Amino acid sequence: MDTLAALGNGFLVALTPYNLLWSAIGVTVGTAVGVLPGIGPALTVALLLPVTYHLEPTSAFIMFAGIYYGAMYGGSTTSILLNAPGESGSIVTAIDGHAMARQGRGAQALATAAIGSFVAGTIATAALTFVAPLMVKLALLFGPAEYFALMILALTTVTAVLGNSLARGLGSLFLGLALGLVGIDMQTGQARLAFGVPELLDGIDTVVVAVGLFAVGETLYVASRYRFETEEIFALKGSKWMSREDWSRSWKPWLRGTLLGFPIGALPAGGSEIPTFLSYLVEKRLAKKPEEFGHGAIEAVAGPEAANNASAAGVLAPLLSLGLPTSATAAIMLAAFQQYGLQPGPTLFDSNPELVWGMIASLYVGNVLLLLLNLPLVGMWVKLLVIPRPWLYAGILVFSTLGAYTLNNNVVDLVILWGIGLVGFGMRVLNVPVAPCVVGLILGPLAEQQFRRALAISQGDPTVFVSHPISAVLLAVAVLLVVGPLLLRRRNRNAAAGGTDRPGTTSTV
Amino acid sequence: MTTGRSLRIGEALLGGGLAALGALIAVETMLTPSAGRGVVGPALFPYLIAGGLVLIGLSLLREAFAGHIAHDGGLELDLRAVVLVAAGLAAQFLLIEFLGWIPAATLLFVAVARAFGSRRYLLNVALGLLLAGATFAVFNYGLDLNLPSGIVGDWFEPAE
Repeated sequence: MDTLAALGNGFLVALTPYNLLWSAIGVTVGTAVGVLPGIGPALTVALLLPVTYHLEPTSAFIMFAGIYYGAMYGGSTTSILLNAPGESGSIVTAIDGHAMARQGRGAQALATAAIGSFVAGTIATAALTFVAPLMVKLALLFGPAEYFALMILALTTVTAVLGNSLARGLGSLFLGLALGLVGIDMQTGQARLAFGVPELLDGIDTVVVAVGLFAVGETLYVASRYRFETEEIFALKGSKWMSREDWSRSWKPWLRGTLLGFPIGALPAGGSEIPTFLSYLVEKRLAKKPEEFGHGAIEAVAGPEAANNASAAGVLAPLLSLGLPTSATAAIMLAAFQQYGLQPGPTLFDSNPELVWGMIASLYVGNVLLLLLNLPLVGMWVKLLVIPRPWLYAGILVFSTLGAYTLNNNVVDLVILWGIGLVGFGMRVLNVPVAPCVVGLILGPLAEQQFRRALAISQGDPTVFVSHPISAVLLAVAVLLVVGPLLLRRRNRNAAAGGTDRPGTTSTV
Repeated sequence: MTTGRSLRIGEALLGGGLAALGALIAVETMLTPSAGRGVVGPALFPYLIAGGLVLIGLSLLREAFAGHIAHDGGLELDLRAVVLVAAGLAAQFLLIEFLGWIPAATLLFVAVARAFGSRRYLLNVALGLLLAGATFAVFNYGLDLNLPSGIVGDWFEPAE
């Protein structure tokens, strides 16, 4: 089917009053959780899974997509006014955005973030519309060996890219893979690592792990640091409008941010951290006044915020066309597809076109709604920031336990939530990234399935992964990503040997 | 105040814990009689993951004592607050089926609020009750999901 015709049908689905309502709910909730510290889109979608069980899948995914996009808009508000990034894609925004707020230019920072998000979101959604069908065509060439190689690549990039230590990232990833082993093996029906607990036979729920790491672990960490950190909110004052100069300094960073964000989000590299950092560096290099960077340069808000939103659209391309999640939120959305008994991938475009295209069309609609929500109504969201922290975090934990308990109506899930939460707290203190754990938990079993399928087809010949060219290339890239940085570091170390101490050993223990 | 030294011990615990988890998975897989149908049985991936865990655990242990850790200068942590939140969660999963969702969730709410320094217990209890009661009503009557009503709920049930 022609892409435009399919998109047209998608709009017919997305513009029904019922689905418009769910889109509006999604973007509103998304903006709220983006603004609120301590709660992000992955956690919100996870908590809403039990609630949406009775909903039509199309409406549910329209809402989830709205939450994902909305959180990208809302995250900038917290970064700019509070200097506390609500999610990892807003870390860069906080640098100059907060400096602008200190100078009384918070409103302009929020405006360039919101309009930039709209521009980038719309262009990137259009790119998604045309790239996703192409990726589907590519996916049709893939057999189990290629899928396995692709999943290995996604797992390594998510790990190698996040955090500052490969060992810590891998530790998080393998913890997730180990949790994914628990339960009945899909192909032989044999129980693995259930230790005789009947509730474990169904496996450990992705939702419980995500909520444990993102909500419980995070709350424990914030509680432990609460006495030592002070927050200061900067009120909005002065002119709310962007000046002519603000516009002329913003529009190019918006477009460049989009150009960086979408492809990087769409690659298995995924995530929003890299494109936002890259956009910051590019804008600094190209700026007429690079000395302003770090002290409230509007380009440094416009570019990264655009990149951030564009990458959200990019992440949806491999998720929908290959079934490959490249961020924590995408991993939870894959779990949501599984809850409905749907498998994202080429077949989904054939079997459920109204869902896929309705969801893509709803992204265009959601962007317009979000611009309205975030530009004239931004003052309303700012008020969310004054909710007293004790009540905010107490409420987050009540909802987290509610979500975990209602999944299967049993206490074992609450016990697992507690244990994972404590582990998450430890990881947070030791600076171990948690996203690889969630992605590993959901991709591990899928990778194993493809691996065994590939070997069954090749009748046990393990060279199948290197004799298929696509699979061989993907695996080679994955190996390079892990080994390359290690080799580089070793070379640097050898070059520095004999001279100064290695960094890190200088501190007293 | 948590010093760099206790953070190193923490990192060592993480490394040791991952290595131990790897060993546990390997042993458990060895002890499970294999239903070895198909070309690759259900034991291969557990062994691979166990091997990876042991290697990563050992490398983290090495890093903990000789390498670079996060927050080299130490990190201030209020561990009493952590214990309080963790205790609130534990109390909730121990009491939820007996007392019911509303009292257990209220208790959790008050415990977390206290961990964040709020001492307005009466107000916190009221807010907790409101939140727990509202979610109970929405979930049990609106969404047909079953949150436990517990013995407190039973007092209000009509006797039959």
